[in-house]
Amino acid sequence: MRVTRVVVLPAAPVLLPEHAGLTDPVPDLRTAARTALAPLAGHAVGLLAEPRWGERVGRHLLADAGVSAPGTGTWREADVVVVVGDGSARRGEKAPGHLDPRAHGWDERVEHALAHGDPATLAALDVQEGDELLAAGAGVLRELGTAVVAAGREVARADLSYAADPFGVRYWVASWDLGPDVS
Amino acid sequence: MTLRLGRHTFADDRPLMMAIVNRTPDSFYDQGATWAEERAFERVHEVVEQGAEIVDIGGIKAAPGVEIDAAEEKDRVVSFVARVREAYPDVVISVDTWRAEVGEAVCAVGADLLNDAWGGHDPALAEVAARHDVALVCTHVGGVAPRTRPHRVDYDDVVADAIGHTVGEAERAVALGVARESVVIDPAHDFGKATRHSLEVTRRLDEMVATGWPVLVSLSNKDFVGETLDLPVGERLTGTLAATAVCAWHGARIYRVHQVAETRQVVDMVRSILGDRPPARAVRGLA
Repeated sequence: MRVTRVVVLPAAPVLLPEHAGLTDPVPDLRTAARTALAPLAGHAVGLLAEPRWGERVGRHLLADAGVSAPGTGTWREADVVVVVGDGSARRGEKAPGHLDPRAHGWDERVEHALAHGDPATLAALDVQEGDELLAAGAGVLRELGTAVVAAGREVARADLSYAADPFGVRYWVASWDLGPDVS
Repeated sequence: MTLRLGRHTFADDRPLMMAIVNRTPDSFYDQGATWAEERAFERVHEVVEQGAEIVDIGGIKAAPGVEIDAAEEKDRVVSFVARVREAYPDVVISVDTWRAEVGEAVCAVGADLLNDAWGGHDPALAEVAARHDVALVCTHVGGVAPRTRPHRVDYDDVVADAIGHTVGEAERAVALGVARESVVIDPAHDFGKATRHSLEVTRRLDEMVATGWPVLVSLSNKDFVGETLDLPVGERLTGTLAATAVCAWHGARIYRVHQVAETRQVVDMVRSILGDRPPARAVRGLA
């Protein structure tokens, strides 16, 4: 595995220009995504996107940040993997999926792992519970954790630059720099 | 299509709000509420705050009544136009008059648009617009004289008549030297029309829009709304806004109104339904 950096982004269609209103409802999120993606220009970028919206949103955010279109390969061919997926959409009574009392605990676990570079916690995510919580990122975040653990790579630097739920869905922008492949 | 109203240019197709400002003691809707100059000036301030791009200043009510000669009309509007010009350099100033003499005087102090609400009764008004390079609204009143009520009016086809007259006046204005991008046409609801005529003009406004000339509609609280719904002057806003929605759907460009904020909401809503304007905010279903 030659990946040296991982960036995590939300799969929220509210980020897509074809759905835009006159004002951007998520300017801080958009800025955080741009800032996280801008350094990727010139690298071989792989996209690991949750199946419903992830690829469309990921490709748009990459293009918006001036990063050329990602290839199809991820862990084997890419220098950088962009993971597109987010937290629970059941974080309150006004959330898209209403309130599930487990949602906050689930998101805190993921968020802590992203902030502290803890791939083992992500590798242990219960994808079925994630589906129940409408956490679109459950599968891809678990795959991220599994791949990093399997490669025997450490997270040399973890940065969670955005974490909020403006509309009842938990969004994260996170970057990990992976240490050398010692396998 | 670019629209130029005097010193102001509007490059896109965004609809414009023209707020009515009466310098009259007896106009039908406000009954002299802004007859005092200070009240009229406050009205200008209020509508500019509400986002009106144009103020339409008038010194004579449309209905029959005490005769107001040109000198009196000028007394009512000229110094007021000058005052608004100085205080609001970014607003388009329109003056509702049929008299060339009055048009000349208001253009000299900064008017941008002459709203010839009586259908070209004074042919020299278009010459004034040309001389001052201001815009002109060409209206259809079925050939009646200023300040007369329609009486036993009849048309083979009121829309064809309105298009024929307004486009003819528009071409005449251009031939006299008014800039082509500064001519607007208005079917003039109620003017020279029975209620059914105004309803038909509304229903078929797309035919006027299809001429390519920007179309102004003046619907606000008028008798065709009142008769249609059997409501007095103070209770016609809902009906006015329904007519506004239809005109917006058909592509009207300028709305001459008493209620700026309400009209803007309706027009914005219709434009968004048409797909011409994004929603102000789009989050529902997309988080």
